[in-house]
Amino acid sequence: MIGATHYVILSLVLFVLGLIGVMVRRNFITVLMSLELIFNAANLNLIAFSDRLSDLSGQVFAIFIITVAAAEAAIGLGLIVALLRLKNTAALDEASEMGG
Amino acid sequence: MEFLTAHFVEIMFYTLAALTVASAVGVVAFRNPVHSAISLLASFLFVAALFVMRHAEFLAAVQVLVYAGGIMVLFLFVIMLVNVKRLDPEQVFLSGKAPAAVAAGVLLGALIAFGYLAGSLGPVGPGPEALRMVDGAVAGNTEAVGWLLYRQYLVPFEVVSVVLLVAMIGAIIFGRRDAGLEEGGGRMEQ
Amino acid sequence: MVQYVPIVLFTLVAVSFPIVTLLIAKAVRAGSPHPVKGEPYECGVPATTTAFETRFSIRYYLIAVLFVVFDVETIFLFPWAVMFEKLALFGFIEMMVFLAILLVGYVYAWRRGALEWA
Repeated sequence: MIGATHYVILSLVLFVLGLIGVMVRRNFITVLMSLELIFNAANLNLIAFSDRLSDLSGQVFAIFIITVAAAEAAIGLGLIVALLRLKNTAALDEASEMGG
Repeated sequence: MEFLTAHFVEIMFYTLAALTVASAVGVVAFRNPVHSAISLLASFLFVAALFVMRHAEFLAAVQVLVYAGGIMVLFLFVIMLVNVKRLDPEQVFLSGKAPAAVAAGVLLGALIAFGYLAGSLGPVGPGPEALRMVDGAVAGNTEAVGWLLYRQYLVPFEVVSVVLLVAMIGAIIFGRRDAGLEEGGGRMEQ
Repeated sequence: MVQYVPIVLFTLVAVSFPIVTLLIAKAVRAGSPHPVKGEPYECGVPATTTAFETRFSIRYYLIAVLFVVFDVETIFLFPWAVMFEKLALFGFIEMMVFLAILLVGYVYAWRRGALEWA
């Protein structure tokens, strides 16, 4: 019997994979893709509990998260384009002048 | 065949979960960003199938339309803008990041333990029929989502349009040629 | 869940068909590689750069962003259209406010020239 637990564990694995991608990769584009993995993990979690509790709110929240992910991708990729103009590269290490 | 029909849900879940995790690993591990993007696309589609298995049919369609149809196009456009050949190969990949890896592993363990408790001990709802109810009558998942979204979640829905507006304006400003982004902060001609 | 079995079978066939075709073609075909065969145009003007070396215009990115934003807008229009009669006038006004806010962005994009190619 597949319950919410299975989905939660799958979503956690996806989340940590995305986290590893964000921490380890230097390429801005790949970092953003890992971020999308994290969004997906959050959605999977919401859907799992929406089904377990038979509460539709989880699905509505997931739609909002997808919207925010789309906006985030648009802005994030805009940042990549700006970085590309400024530094002629997409490596995140090159954008450390703010002193992080 | 009897085994297949009797355990269809289990077989589908484990197959899809394995494929999702494999393609997610691909996103993180591939060095060529185009390969990462294709791997990400595959993981989006597998997650959409998992949504269907959890009675979220409308959300699965949204996942395919927005993620696979929209966001992936955006990613591939930018990869082409960045010019794949000039992206330096990442020599430092996974080196000197051992503390981060250990931290991620510990975090994964803790989260799995917590998720197991939350997913197996919490309350249980009446059943998947409730995900299709509109006003007490059984309709479809899309109808039920619309009914909830446009009545109970009215304000968040209107705020979403502001989020989209900000995304649009932000992208246009970043993409402008005279955004004052040249080296030294000087504005470009024109 | 069992009603999805045909879809699963359909997907399996659809995915395996091109793979099997390509594998058979690889096994059967005769191979005589030549650099000219790899050119985008076998006759005419020789290509000076590959597609990857030529940078794409930033315009493509703006169009893609606008596409994604209005794609998401469509997602919200769909459940509204399905429930249009039950939501009645209230839902109509609600959606018009949503569309009006997004129209501001559209007008902004238009006036900024994001929709022009020049």
